[in-house]
Amino acid sequence: MRLLLLNHISVARESLRRNRLRTTLTTLGITLGVACMTIILAMSFGAVKLVSDQVDSLNGNIAVIRPGAERQIRDLRDALVPMGGDSFAVSSLTEKDYKTVAELDSVAEAAPLMSVDGSVRSADETALDAPIVATTPELETVSDIKVQDGQFIDDITNQNTAVIGQQLSVDLFGTNQSIGKTLQVRGQQFTVIGILKSVNDSTNYNNFNLNDAVIISLDSGKSFNQGIAQIRQINVRAHDPAQLSQTTKQIREQIVINHNGESDFTILTGENIAKPTSLLFNFVGVVALVISVISLIIGGIGIMNIMLANVAERTREIGIRKAVGASNYHITAQFLIEALVMSVSGGIIGFLLGYAVALVLGTFLPFSPGFSWIVPTVSIGTSLVVGVIFGIYPAIRAARKNPIEALRQYH
Amino acid sequence: MKDADTHPVISLRGLTKRYGIGDAEHTVLDSIDLDIQKGEFIAIMGPSGCGKTSLLNILGLLDSSDEGEYMLDDKSVARVSSAKRAEIRSRRIGFVFQSFNLVPRLNVIENVALPLAYTGTSQLKSMKKASAMLKNFHLNEREYYMPWQLSGGQTQRVAIARALVNDPSIILADEPTGNLDSKSSHVILEELSDIHKRGNTIIMVTHNPDMTTYADRVITMLDGRIDTDTKTAVVSNSRSAVHKKVGLGSRTKPTSKRQKKGKK
Repeated sequence: MRLLLLNHISVARESLRRNRLRTTLTTLGITLGVACMTIILAMSFGAVKLVSDQVDSLNGNIAVIRPGAERQIRDLRDALVPMGGDSFAVSSLTEKDYKTVAELDSVAEAAPLMSVDGSVRSADETALDAPIVATTPELETVSDIKVQDGQFIDDITNQNTAVIGQQLSVDLFGTNQSIGKTLQVRGQQFTVIGILKSVNDSTNYNNFNLNDAVIISLDSGKSFNQGIAQIRQINVRAHDPAQLSQTTKQIREQIVINHNGESDFTILTGENIAKPTSLLFNFVGVVALVISVISLIIGGIGIMNIMLANVAERTREIGIRKAVGASNYHITAQFLIEALVMSVSGGIIGFLLGYAVALVLGTFLPFSPGFSWIVPTVSIGTSLVVGVIFGIYPAIRAARKNPIEALRQYH
Repeated sequence: MKDADTHPVISLRGLTKRYGIGDAEHTVLDSIDLDIQKGEFIAIMGPSGCGKTSLLNILGLLDSSDEGEYMLDDKSVARVSSAKRAEIRSRRIGFVFQSFNLVPRLNVIENVALPLAYTGTSQLKSMKKASAMLKNFHLNEREYYMPWQLSGGQTQRVAIARALVNDPSIILADEPTGNLDSKSSHVILEELSDIHKRGNTIIMVTHNPDMTTYADRVITMLDGRIDTDTKTAVVSNSRSAVHKKVGLGSRTKPTSKRQKKGKK
């Protein structure tokens, strides 16, 4: 049986090589479809891995509380709205919630994140899109933020101090040695007391890029917002990683009490934090996957078309093979394998092409494509399935040919 | 208990084959009774459309009859599955065709090795076997030629080599010399009678009465029935005499043939 399989494969290779142009054109459809699929998979794995690596580096000992109830996606409109709170609504998380969480026995530390809108200026430069984050000193340990120079914000120093990202320091002051210099946030003066270590994970579960950020104290943040903390996320570190689920349960109970019984927030742990924070990202992925599936179907139809032509051309050969002892099964296998050789080689080429494109894309994006056994398995597996689906009909048709009539052809 | 001689390899009883339906129905084989013993060399003759080829296709399990019984080695093939039929074709039957029917994409040795692929023989082994078989036919220098690079006689010898490579017990030849000149025809027939001497059963359909001289039994068919069934004593020296004559390009053979047949 195995011998026959090898025989079929070599026969298929031979016959495909004979029609090289035809084979190449047919394979192209599958190649492009699989390449498209590979790019999407590799990129999304890259993005997910990026965040999950950060979560892993915290020993999985982190929970994230975000405003807004957990939503079920019912239709496309839901999917288009970013997750983690409707950006136009007032956040349902309050400073009181943060304090409640921080005071829980099982919680080691908690840090709120408050985003402040506005531009950041130095004497002669303006950074328009630098994220301004107001938080507490605990963020340094909860999110494992490394400081390169100076110190992180703390409770002792003057309120109007800031810690800035390395890139922002260069943008504003032309140097990464900017400790003691002053900058303005919404017209208010802040002194730089620390420079963060440069990191290359601009996409992370905190949803801001540390390299570009200004971190100020929560009190300063509140002062920009009529004294009310607009908390968009609370990061929580538990004492005992093994008790994390227990801890989140407690947190949930406590906040629900704070919110008069309303469960208008979401607690994420582990891999869920790593899931793309925007469903739009998922939506784009789904659209791209649909496109690649359509191109795979078209590629499959191309294979079927060529295989039907092959079968018609080789009717006589089928007759001869049957006369010398090939059963219907043998003929089916022969033509099916021919279709599979086309689709799978298209799949392999498409996979390699897709990864090449993904690597090139990765140089323009904040993350590089992920390497996972799932990507080749899915993309090449798909091409195999396409080959079977679209190759089986021509193969059965070949096998059903009456040997006598087949031998009479072109007499 | 019958002994081997009276034990027919092929036994047909009331074999009937029809084509078409309704008004257009046409009986190609009309209740044929026939016993073929092991080791016979049978020539089937008859005008076009008398059902020779249909009979051969049924004997070779490429086709099935509408009525009657076909016993191959005392076993009825009526209820045999198509996969089993293919296996019987592969192991027991070798086909030789008028139009040679080599696979044009495959070279000579691959063509000869083709039947071995369906018996699960390894690539190396089947190539060796095919090569040895071609050597028997003095074609070992042509192993890597493509079919279109061979002469008609060579092509048919390759086809015979292919028919024999699985060591079948029955060779079915459908006008094996129909596309060949008389000299190549006799070369082919010599090959077939050699095979016959080694104990194979050969059933050959032919238009050419010259060719029946090699057979030890001549069956003529007419309108789907067996018209005459003559056992001819094949004397090896008489055949070689015939061969010489034909070698000169004689076309006077049919008379001598008819005399022979008349002797019945």
